[in-house]
Amino acid sequence: MPQRPIIVLALAVMSCSGQSARKVSTETPGYDFNYIGPRMADPVLQHSKETYVLFGCSYCHGLYLISRGEATDLLHSRLVGRDEDANLIGPLLRAGIPQTAKLSPMPQFSDLSEQQINDITRWIHYARQQERYKELTEAATVERGDAAAGKVYFESACVSCHSADNLPSVKKYTPALLRAEILKPHALEPAASSKLDRVGDTKTETARQRHLKLLENYSSQEVANLVAYLK
Amino acid sequence: MTKITRRDAGRLALAGISTGLTTSALAQPARTNRSLIHGIQFGLQPFCYHDLAMNRENRPELVRRLVQNGLGMVELHATWCEPRFNQPGVSPQEARDKLRNWRLTVPADYYRKIKTEFDGAGITIFTYYVNFGDSDTDAEIDATFSAAKILGAKACIGSFGLAVAHRLIPFPGKYGMFLGLHNHDNLSDPDAFSSEASIVQGLSYSPDFKATLDTRHFTAGNGDCLGFLQRHHDRVSSVHLGDRRKNNGRSTPFGEGDAPIIQILQMIRDNRWPIVVLLEFEHGTLRTGVEEVQLMFDYCKRALA
Repeated sequence: MPQRPIIVLALAVMSCSGQSARKVSTETPGYDFNYIGPRMADPVLQHSKETYVLFGCSYCHGLYLISRGEATDLLHSRLVGRDEDANLIGPLLRAGIPQTAKLSPMPQFSDLSEQQINDITRWIHYARQQERYKELTEAATVERGDAAAGKVYFESACVSCHSADNLPSVKKYTPALLRAEILKPHALEPAASSKLDRVGDTKTETARQRHLKLLENYSSQEVANLVAYLK
Repeated sequence: MTKITRRDAGRLALAGISTGLTTSALAQPARTNRSLIHGIQFGLQPFCYHDLAMNRENRPELVRRLVQNGLGMVELHATWCEPRFNQPGVSPQEARDKLRNWRLTVPADYYRKIKTEFDGAGITIFTYYVNFGDSDTDAEIDATFSAAKILGAKACIGSFGLAVAHRLIPFPGKYGMFLGLHNHDNLSDPDAFSSEASIVQGLSYSPDFKATLDTRHFTAGNGDCLGFLQRHHDRVSSVHLGDRRKNNGRSTPFGEGDAPIIQILQMIRDNRWPIVVLLEFEHGTLRTGVEEVQLMFDYCKRALA
């Protein structure tokens, strides 16, 4: 049909308009924006989030890991904190937890592909990092830090990459900023666009992943101790 | 017998979703039995609106959504009516005590007003869902049945086991009501309602007890829904209709699991059993709760057409 290219062009122009994009995003049938939230910039994470929702995980465990009813609290679960690339979450998802004192046993998801298991796990870790960061930075009261305990923690968890002597810049931070910097180091934030000097740089990404892992497992007291030690 | 298959029904329902959510449903005047389909009374377990916190502040929105979905019957959780006392700074024990005190002192008119809200929208409160447990005193249980009666509910129902059910024997008869026994699929707990034997044992406690057969959990526990209905239909007040896979499998959209949803509906219709069908889902969806409920409801309508 001769009109078709014109219609396609018109749609393309509309989709480039910010106003049109917002209109579409809030009115698209079949996608619950109020519950799932706006689409994420990272398509891999967006897909992971959708997989987590589609297989019903959010129904019990909450989209951002605020669990409902008797479901396990994934935000503070030790198993989730120890998980590396679905090595613990994957087998648990496949088997479920049939023997339990709870009303409803955790179902088994043995029919899911490895890709789907990895997607679900990726979302759980991402959501846990986001929510733990909020929890640790927005707490109404902050524990009094113990510098000696902070030193012990630093030497067990940080010293493989850092030396306390090589961190002079931390002195300039306020305790609140230092706390935030420990949880999510600004220098390790992913770049908004590719930088040539970062091509082939696996060191930064490795460090970022290491800090995210720590973020998933810090207790508030441990962070307070680290702040006390480093200040 | 209709030759529609589960997957056919799912496809047809998907095709028809847009027709189910027109504004005409909202404009429709309130009337009773809005969701009586081929002799089967449908209602909703409003857990389905996953994004809607089940509290009394959201009750008007619940009524609005039920009307939007064309559903004239509901199983109402107590949390849609009761205040929440578990605020920051309040210990769980304090919150529990406050709730008990509230239940014992709330005037009857409070519940009459709630009933009026649902009546005005043409929605019947079929059952009142309360998870009775060891912390409930006899006076509190009595007050809860009294509240349910004022709401017009036929029964109190909840997720509890055999021991709690045994304790509840004296209450429903006093109010001319019944107690609904709702199953899950925990086969490892001897106190749980999960297998046919456990439900039958619970029913034996009192003629005022009836089964609310949860087809999802019963299927996940490898139970035979059709056989159960065939054998015990006279003691079944309702089904929580949803789909899951066997062997403690996951919840699925209608037609993608192992629950024989179409056969259950046709069995109830063909035998004219007065069993209420309460739609319920726990499977994941990217759609809104209203859209997903409409898909499920349309699936059932097509199964019965």
